[in-house]
Amino acid sequence: MTTTNTKAEQTPSPKKGRAKIPRQPMPEQDPRRRRTNFEEVPRGYSEETAMLEASRCIQCKKPGCVEGCPVSIYIPSFIKEIAAGNFIGALLKLKEYTALPAVCGRVCPQESQCESRCILGKKGEPVAIGRLERFAADYARKKGGVPDPVKAKATGKKVAIVGAGPAGITVAGELARWGHEVVMFEALHLAGGVLMYGIPQFRLPKEIVQYEVNSLKKMGVTIHTDYVIGKSETVDQLLDAGFDSVFIATGAGLPMFLGIENENAIGVFSANEFLTRANLMRAIDFPRFATSPIRPHRAVTVGGGNVAMDAARTALRLGADSAIVYRRSKAEMPARDEEIHHAEEEGVEFHMLTNPKRIVIDEQNRVTGVECLKMELGEPDASGRRRPVTVEGSEYIVPADTVIVAIGNRPNPLVPQTSPEIETSRWGTINTDDDSMMTSKLGVFAGGDIVSGAATVISAMGQGKKAAFYMHRYLMGVDPPQA
Amino acid sequence: MGSISLTIDGRSVEVEEGTTVLEAARKAGIAIPTICAHKDLNPYGACRICVVEIKGVRGYPTSCTTPATEGMQVTTQSEPLRELRNRTLELMFSGHPNSCLVCVHREACEQYRPTATKAARSTRCGFCANRDECDLREMALKAGSNELHLPTLYASYNLERDDPFMDRDYNLCVLCGRCWRICEKIHGQPAISIINRGKWARIGTAFDKSHVFSGCTFCGACIDICPTGTLTDRFARWQGKPEQEITSTCQLCPEGCSVVAQVKEGRLLAYTMTEFSQEAGLCALGRFGAAQILANANRLTRPLVREGEDLIPMDWQGTLEVTASQLAQHRGKIAVVASASTSREDRYLYGQLASQLGGQLITLAVNAGAEDSQISSLMQSVEKGAITAVIVGGNLVPLELVTRLKCSVIIDALPSPVSEAANIVLPAAILSEAGGTFRNAHCRIKPMAGCSRAPGDARPEWHILCSLGQALNLRSFEHTSVAGITPAIVNDPPPEPIPGNPRQNVRELATRFRGHLLADILPSLGAFGLPATPKTAVTEPTGAGFTITEKKEIAPNMHFFKVVAPQVAKFAQPGQFVILMAKETSERSPFTLVDWDAKAGTISLVIEEVGRSSRELASLAAGETMAHVSGPLGLPLAIENKGTVVLGGGCYGIGAIYPLARALRQAGNRVICAIEASSSYLLYMQDTLAEVCDELIIATKDGSEGVRGGIQEVIAQVADREPVNQFIAIGCTFMMRMATAVSKELAIPTLVALNPIMVDGTGMCGACRVTIGEDTKFACVDGPIFDGHAIDWDELASRRSAYARQEVQALSQQVDLTALMHQAQGNGCSCGR
Repeated sequence: MTTTNTKAEQTPSPKKGRAKIPRQPMPEQDPRRRRTNFEEVPRGYSEETAMLEASRCIQCKKPGCVEGCPVSIYIPSFIKEIAAGNFIGALLKLKEYTALPAVCGRVCPQESQCESRCILGKKGEPVAIGRLERFAADYARKKGGVPDPVKAKATGKKVAIVGAGPAGITVAGELARWGHEVVMFEALHLAGGVLMYGIPQFRLPKEIVQYEVNSLKKMGVTIHTDYVIGKSETVDQLLDAGFDSVFIATGAGLPMFLGIENENAIGVFSANEFLTRANLMRAIDFPRFATSPIRPHRAVTVGGGNVAMDAARTALRLGADSAIVYRRSKAEMPARDEEIHHAEEEGVEFHMLTNPKRIVIDEQNRVTGVECLKMELGEPDASGRRRPVTVEGSEYIVPADTVIVAIGNRPNPLVPQTSPEIETSRWGTINTDDDSMMTSKLGVFAGGDIVSGAATVISAMGQGKKAAFYMHRYLMGVDPPQA
Repeated sequence: MGSISLTIDGRSVEVEEGTTVLEAARKAGIAIPTICAHKDLNPYGACRICVVEIKGVRGYPTSCTTPATEGMQVTTQSEPLRELRNRTLELMFSGHPNSCLVCVHREACEQYRPTATKAARSTRCGFCANRDECDLREMALKAGSNELHLPTLYASYNLERDDPFMDRDYNLCVLCGRCWRICEKIHGQPAISIINRGKWARIGTAFDKSHVFSGCTFCGACIDICPTGTLTDRFARWQGKPEQEITSTCQLCPEGCSVVAQVKEGRLLAYTMTEFSQEAGLCALGRFGAAQILANANRLTRPLVREGEDLIPMDWQGTLEVTASQLAQHRGKIAVVASASTSREDRYLYGQLASQLGGQLITLAVNAGAEDSQISSLMQSVEKGAITAVIVGGNLVPLELVTRLKCSVIIDALPSPVSEAANIVLPAAILSEAGGTFRNAHCRIKPMAGCSRAPGDARPEWHILCSLGQALNLRSFEHTSVAGITPAIVNDPPPEPIPGNPRQNVRELATRFRGHLLADILPSLGAFGLPATPKTAVTEPTGAGFTITEKKEIAPNMHFFKVVAPQVAKFAQPGQFVILMAKETSERSPFTLVDWDAKAGTISLVIEEVGRSSRELASLAAGETMAHVSGPLGLPLAIENKGTVVLGGGCYGIGAIYPLARALRQAGNRVICAIEASSSYLLYMQDTLAEVCDELIIATKDGSEGVRGGIQEVIAQVADREPVNQFIAIGCTFMMRMATAVSKELAIPTLVALNPIMVDGTGMCGACRVTIGEDTKFACVDGPIFDGHAIDWDELASRRSAYARQEVQALSQQVDLTALMHQAQGNGCSCGR
C-alpha cells in the first residue's frame, strides 16, 4: 500500500490531465463463456484502475452524487481515499453510511442515482462510483485488516427486526452501532433476504452476502434464522416480550401469476421459485446440494424487470435457450440497461410487444409452449408508459419446457395479517409516515418492499436508514450520533 | 447321447437324454411356472412351484430336478397342482410383502400411481424398485388369487446399503437361492450363501461381514438374476425397466468384455453380462462403473477455445477452424497422445493424424498416467523444442507440459487440470455413446454399439478426428460413419493387458480411464483401495442446529423424532407443519407436526423415508442435530364442536391426525380415528391415538388387521352406522383422493391436508400451488388444509411427481451412501453384530 502513493503521483494529477482520463471500463467475463457458468460477470477493478478512476473525481464542494444516493453516502470522501491508495480507509468511510457496500456496488442502479448527478456526466462520462464502491468493499474483504466498527455505549434499549433482507440489515447495522441491542428474525434458513434467494450468484456472490451478515453478528447483532414472526410471536407479542421497538421488513415475497390457462402445469415457475432454487438452495451445485435443479431446454421468462433478466440469464446458464416475453417495447422495460445489455450479450432472445395468452401442455400436464399474442403500444397509462393493446388474431406459439413468471411480487401478508393494528394499503403494503417510517402503531416501524411494494435493494436500504434514524430518536428522544 | 420320448399334457415330446422334465416341457412350448429355476443355473428344487404329476410316481415331483425318462407321462396342469402351487406361492408370500397383490384398490392405485414410489425398504409393490420386473408378482397376478390365507411375517431387516454399488433389501427375499448359486457358478467359491436357520434364514456373507471383505467381486450377477427386488443396482434402482438391450463391448480395460448395454430414454442404465456364465463374467467397473461415468455431472459438453485467460465456449465449426489453423503452424512438431481405452477406429485416426502432421503418436496403457516413461521423454522433447503442440485424448500429460506449450488440444469427456489449462478442449462422446470396434488384450475384435445419447455437444472421437483431419486438409479423413473407417485399419496391435484379474479381485480393477483416476469419478471404488486424488475437505457452514432428543423407527420406513425447537413448540397448533433440513446442503421439506410440548420446548414428528431428503433426516440419530427446523407454518385447523368427526390417516397421516384428534375431542366432538396401512406390520401409534379418540378403527389392505380395505371403506361403514358431521383425511394423495370421492357421495363435509412440493413454506415461491375449486391457492400459507371436495387431484398428483426423474438421479449420486461404507471398515472384528 505504501507503493500506491508513488503511483498516485504518476497519474496526471493537475486538473487538465485529470479531465483527459476516460471512465475506466469494468473488465467483464466474455459473454460466450459466462453464459455457461455462474461466476460473477464483472471482474472488478484492479488497484491501479481503481486509483485512476478515483482520480477523475473533482471532489465537488456541493456533490450532486450524495443527493442522488438513497442512503446519502458522502461519496467524495471514500473516492478520495481510493485515489490516495488508502483502500481500507475508503471502506471505513463507506461503512459510516452503508452496511452493505459490496452489495450496493454491485446491484444499485447507479446510472439513475449517484452517477446521474455527477458533474463530469454533464459533458462526458460520470465517475464510476458503483465500481469504486465495489472495489473498496472487495479489497477489504479479501485483504482483511478492517478494524471492528466502533460501537457507542450500550443504551439498554432492545430492538426487534423482522426480516433479514437489505432494509433489515441496514437498520440492524445502524442501531447496533448506536449501542442498541438488536435481534433479527429471519423466516428462511439463511439471512440476507432477496440478496440470498433472489439475486443470482453471477450478479452477487452469496459468499459476499454471508460476509456482510457475519460482520453484523460481529457487531453483536443476534440473528435468529428459521424464525417466522407472525406464525410464532406476533409483533404485539414482541413488544410485550420486552422489545422497545420493532422494525418490519418482510419484503414483497408473494409472487404474482398471470392468471392464464394451464398456469399450474409442471414447468411453470414463479421467478421467486426458480431463483430461490438456484440461489438460496444452490441447486446449481446439485448433486452436492440436494434441491433438484430445473434443467430447462427452452425457457421463456415473462416480464421485463430486473428479476426477469435474472431469471432468463439463470435459465441460460442452466443450459437452456432462453427467451424473454414482454408486452411493451424495450424502451418501457423497467430493468436496468446494464442488465438488459448483459442478457442480450449472453444470447437471451427478446420477444417484445408480446403477451402470453395461455400455456400449452402435454397429456402429462407438462409445459410444451406458450401461446402468445402480439401487442401494439397505445395511449400512455397512469404510469406514463404507453399501454399495450392486443393485436387481434396474432396468436402464435413459442415452444418452451419451462415458463418463468416474473411479473412482480406483492407484499408478504404473514406479518400484517397477524397485526391488525398496523394499517395497510389496499395493495397489502404497510402504511408508514413518509419521514419517520413509523407505522400506525407506536414504536413499530417498517421499511423496504413491505412498504414500497417491489422495488430495489437500495431503496429498501434508504428506507431502513431513515427508519433507523427515527427509531433511535423514538428510543432515546435525541438524534443519533453523527457519522 | 440318445434321445428319448415322453408325453407332457398328452403331447409327445422328443428330447435328449439327461434333459429335465421342465426343459422338456419348455421345449414343447408348455409353460411350467418356476421361481428358482433359471436356464443358466443347475436344477435346485427350492421353490417347488414347478411341481408336476408323473404317472406312476408318488407325490408331486419338481420338474426342474426330475430327469425325463423314456415313456414318462407328465401332467403340468391339474386342480391339485394349481392348489399346490398357490399354497406354495402363499407360503413364499408369507415372508414377502404382498399386500398390494391382494389389495382391493390395486387397479385404481396402479392407474393413479403408474410408477413405483421410492422408499427405503420395499414394504409393498408400490414401493419396490423391481415392480415392473418381479417374477413373483407376475406369477401371483397370473394366478389371479386375491386371497392369502397366511399372515405376513415381515422380517424387518435393515435395508443394507453400506456396500459399494448395491442396495440389498432381504425383506423381499424368497430364498430361491438364485443369487448364491450364480455366484458359485461364476466364481467357484460363492461370496454369499444362506446363513442362519429356520425363520431367520437369509442370504449373507460368511460371518455376515461387508461384501467388500467377503471375496465378492461385485460382478452384479446376483442382482441381475434375482427374481425379486431384493438385490438392486443402486444407480439403476429406480429407473425402471430398460427400453433397449444391445450387445456391445466394454472398453474400460483391455479385457474388452462383451456386455449387454441396457438403455432407457437415451441413457445407459448398466452394462450387464451377456449370459450367466464364468466366461461372460464382468468386473465391478464394467458392471457398475460405465453408466455412472457417463452420468457424471461434470461431463464436458461444449467445445472450448482459449482467449486470454478464459476458455470460451464455441460452436464446433468455429472451434475446428481455430484448432486446424493453430495446429497447421506446428506441423512436424506435434505429438498425439491417446489412451488404449479407445476404439480401434479412434486409435487409427489418432495415428493417421500424427503421421500426416509429421508428428509422433504415443499410446498409453489403460493404467498409465502422466508419470509414464513415454510422457517423460515427450516432456524432454518439449523442453528441447522438438515438440511444440500436442493433441491429447484424455488426462494423459502433466500440467506443466500443457502450460509450456502454445498449442494444446484436449479431446476428453471429463474436465481435468490439463483440460482447464489447454488451448482447445473438444468434448468427446465415450463408451456406449460412440460406436466402433475394440480389440481386446486377447486379440479379439469386438463390436461396440453406440446406443446412448452424449451430453450437450459432445461428439464421438472418430467424428471429431475426421472433422479435424478435414479442416487440416489431410488425406482419407472423409468418413461419415464409424463403420466406414473400420476397413481402413490394418495391423492394429492389441492393447497391453492390465496386471491381475479384475473379474476375480476388486483390488485389481483398472485404476484409470483416459488418464483420470477412476476412484475420483466413482468414489465407491475407494472401498476397494483404488488410488484417488486426495480431496480437500469441503466444510459446510454449520449452525447450532436443533437437537434430536428421541428417534426410533416405529414402523418400517416410519421414523419418530422428538426435536428441541422451543419457538415451534410454543406456538404450534393442530394442523400446522414445519420445514426441515437435515444438513446445510439438504432440501427444505415440509413435515406435519405430530405433537409438541411448549414446556419442554420439543416437537414430535413422523418422517417417512421415501427420497433423499427424508433419508438424510432418517439417518440422524438421537443426540445429533437437524440443521434447520422452521415453523410452525400453515394455517391451523379451526377447532370447533361439529358433533361427530372422523379422522382418517394413512402413512405419515397416522401421526398427523393425532393433534387434530386431541384438540377436536377437547372441543367436545365425538372423535373417531380411522387409520389404514397396507398390512398390520405398517401400523403405528395405535395406543397413543386410542387415548385421544372415542373409537379407533383400523383398516389394512390385506385384511391382516381390522377392516379389509382403506379409509374409504371405513368412512362408508361409519356413515352407514351413524351421522358424520365432519371428515378429515391426511395421508398420501391417492388415499385422500379415494376417500374424498366416497365422502362426497355421502355428502359429508370433508377436509384434507395437502402435501405438494414446497420450497420456502412461507408463501414466497408458489411451488405448492394447488387448484381449489376455481382458485389457485398456496398450500403453505392458504392451507395445508382445504375442502376435500374442491381439489383438482390430477393436478396435485402430477405436480407432486414433477421431479421424479431428478429425484431418482439424486439417490444414486448421493455421496454419503459411500461415506457409510468407509466407516464400516474400521469396525474391529467386522462380524456385523
